[in-house]
Amino acid sequence: MATRTVVPFGPQHPVLPEPVQLRLTYEDEKVVEVTPVIGYGHRGIEKACELNEYAKNIYLCERVCGICSYQHSATVTEVMEKLWPLELTPRINYLRTIWSEMARTHSHLLWLGLLADAFGFESMFMQFWRIREKVLDLLERTTGHRVIQSVNIVGGVRRDIDEQQKKMIVDVLKDVRKESQSLINKLISDYTVKKRTVGVGVITKEQAMGLGCVGPTLRASGVSEDVRLTKYHAYGELQFEPIVEEAGDCYARAAVRARELFQAIDLQLEALSKLPEGEISVKVKGNPPANEAVMRTEAPRGELFYYAKGNGTRKLERMKIRTPTNANLPAVLVLLPGCQMADVPVNVLSIDPCISCTER
Amino acid sequence: MPKMLPTVLRNLLDGPATRMYPIKVRKPFQNARGHIVFDDDKCVLCGVCAMRCPADAISTDKESKTLSFEPARCIVCEVCVQGCPSDAITLMYHWRTPFYRKPLEVHEAKGKKPRTPV
Repeated sequence: MATRTVVPFGPQHPVLPEPVQLRLTYEDEKVVEVTPVIGYGHRGIEKACELNEYAKNIYLCERVCGICSYQHSATVTEVMEKLWPLELTPRINYLRTIWSEMARTHSHLLWLGLLADAFGFESMFMQFWRIREKVLDLLERTTGHRVIQSVNIVGGVRRDIDEQQKKMIVDVLKDVRKESQSLINKLISDYTVKKRTVGVGVITKEQAMGLGCVGPTLRASGVSEDVRLTKYHAYGELQFEPIVEEAGDCYARAAVRARELFQAIDLQLEALSKLPEGEISVKVKGNPPANEAVMRTEAPRGELFYYAKGNGTRKLERMKIRTPTNANLPAVLVLLPGCQMADVPVNVLSIDPCISCTER
Repeated sequence: MPKMLPTVLRNLLDGPATRMYPIKVRKPFQNARGHIVFDDDKCVLCGVCAMRCPADAISTDKESKTLSFEPARCIVCEVCVQGCPSDAITLMYHWRTPFYRKPLEVHEAKGKKPRTPV
């Protein structure tokens, strides 16, 4: 009979810079059981949102996540705007779309680099991150900050994109597309990459639907589902179709993110060319009225959900945040049993986990 | 392997992708949010910045007529800059240099309140 060994994976692990522990039970080199231990990164942000003044919640909520911070700030702003509800100008919606897609571009580049790092392709990891640096520079030039943009306010945005910046963004994005195209071609067609990812960690369509997966993890299993189809921001006016892969393995999840990277660049270019004239903020009167609102957006990792309840005072009565990794984490528990010890990092990384996000 | 050759050659000829920081420092972008500066002559101690600051980095003392600012707490969100009714706060695009101890800036408000028309 094979011996059983329990090996802790995390909360501090070179591959996964996230505070989660997976207690893996091995039979020889095969995983047979997974027990997740979570709660290392809980900061009580939901409760803090109730104690804050409503306008200060934007700066708190965009610190829920360091990578998709723009989506968090855009979503919390929109959910509070829905309490009145405020009528935004088309320019505000377009600017928010552009920055959302810019954040998606840098998030996917980051993930592709991490994937290369997870199976020991150090050089490709650095090259992806070199391209990502250009997108971060774009964010700093247009919003003022690289990572935590602080550009959304209730009733609009703080910065505008002028003609000169528009030109600069288009030039940089074309550069980014060209450079990442050649890198991704190598990643996708590489023999060793295929050997490590094809057929590894398969989530079938039924499993993905049953577990309630979201975002690229769900789309890689052949489900055409994307919150951007609900036409929030300016997505209703842009050419857009969800990217779907059928296989459901790690390779398919990488392919979905690689193709979404180019889709994000295309969406930015289209939104920039259609950017309408208008004000970048609208007047807000009084405190959030006694009302409830829900907002769903597509963060780079999947569906991001915010719920807010106002009571007519300066403070909100309730704020609820549900991040994409919260929905995708059950998938890890399904795809890990049966895999080899060496495949665990790639499998865990393939859903792009953000545990600090989840525990908020 | 031959497919990787152009990348290898480019990396050889391009030189390093990183800078020799802190010997070579990149110029900050004109649009960047570096830090905020207070103009004591314009400040009328109205307290709008202290009330709106999400990081509680600003506090005012009406008795001693001073405004205290903790730069280490500031997240440079621009709320105070846009909210200041007397334009006493300016946003600079240069970053602060790192500090060993958290400093506290104390400003004496010397601005005069505009007279309200009768």
